[in-house]
Amino acid sequence: MTPGTAPSEVDRPESQEGADLDHPWAVLVWNDPINLMSYVSFVFQKLFGYSRERADSLMLDVHHKGRAVVSSGAREKAEMDVFRLHGYGLWATMQQDNP
Amino acid sequence: MILRQRRNAGFERRGDRVEICLSDDERELVADLAEQFRSVLAADRDPDLRRLYPTAYPDDTDRNDDYTVLVHDDLVTARLAAIDSVLATTGNQSIDTGELESWMDMFSGLRLLVGTRLDVCEDDVFDPEDADAPSRALLAWLGYLLEEAVGVAGEFLPVDRSDL
Repeated sequence: MTPGTAPSEVDRPESQEGADLDHPWAVLVWNDPINLMSYVSFVFQKLFGYSRERADSLMLDVHHKGRAVVSSGAREKAEMDVFRLHGYGLWATMQQDNP
Repeated sequence: MILRQRRNAGFERRGDRVEICLSDDERELVADLAEQFRSVLAADRDPDLRRLYPTAYPDDTDRNDDYTVLVHDDLVTARLAAIDSVLATTGNQSIDTGELESWMDMFSGLRLLVGTRLDVCEDDVFDPEDADAPSRALLAWLGYLLEEAVGVAGEFLPVDRSDL
C-alpha cells in the first residue's frame, strides 16, 4: 500500500497536533503465516471501529500485498495503535510518512 | 492425536452470552494448554515468544528499545490475565463476551508460539508421518477453535459503525 490511499488519508486530520504535524506516522500491519484472516479482520473492526467490509479489505491487502496501512496520525497515537495491535498478536510496525 | 470431533461449533451465541460447546476432554486439553502456555509466558525466556512482542520501530533501535521497556510488561500481564480468565471458565456452560475474548487471546497467542516453533509457512502441507505432526495438528485445532470464536465474537460487534 502506498501513501495517499484511503486508509492513511482519512485519518490525517488527527495528526494536527505536536511536532509531527507535517509528517504523520503510518501504522502498518504485516502478513504472517500464523494469524487467521478472520481474526485479523475482527481485530481491525474491534480496535478501529472499521466496518466488516473495510476491515476485510485491509486484511486482504495484508494477505496479498504483504502489508497495509491500518491507521495513521501523530506519533503518540500511532504508538498506541501499534501497542494495541501487539496486544492482539498482530505484526504491526510504524514509520513516518515521507515528506 | 488431537480431538477433531466436529459435532458442534465450539462456541455458540445464546442471547448476550456464549455457550461453550466442548467435550470434557476438550475442556481438559484447553486447561492443560493454558497452564503450559502460562508457564512459558511467565518465565518470559523462550525465544519462540518473539512473535508476541514485535518490533514497533524496525528502523530505529533506540526508539524501539524505549517502546519495549514501556510496553513489554503490560503485554505479558495482559496475556497472563487472559489465561487466568480461561482457566477460571473452562468448566463453564457459558461465558460472557469479555471471557470469550480471553479465550481468543489464549488461542491466538498460543498459536503464535507453536507456529513460531514449527516455523510454519502459508503453503505448508500437513503430513501425518512428519515428526512434528502432533504440533501441527494442535495448531490446526487451535485455529479451528479460534475461527469459531471469532465468528461468534463478530456477532457482538456494534452494527452502526461508520467508516470515517
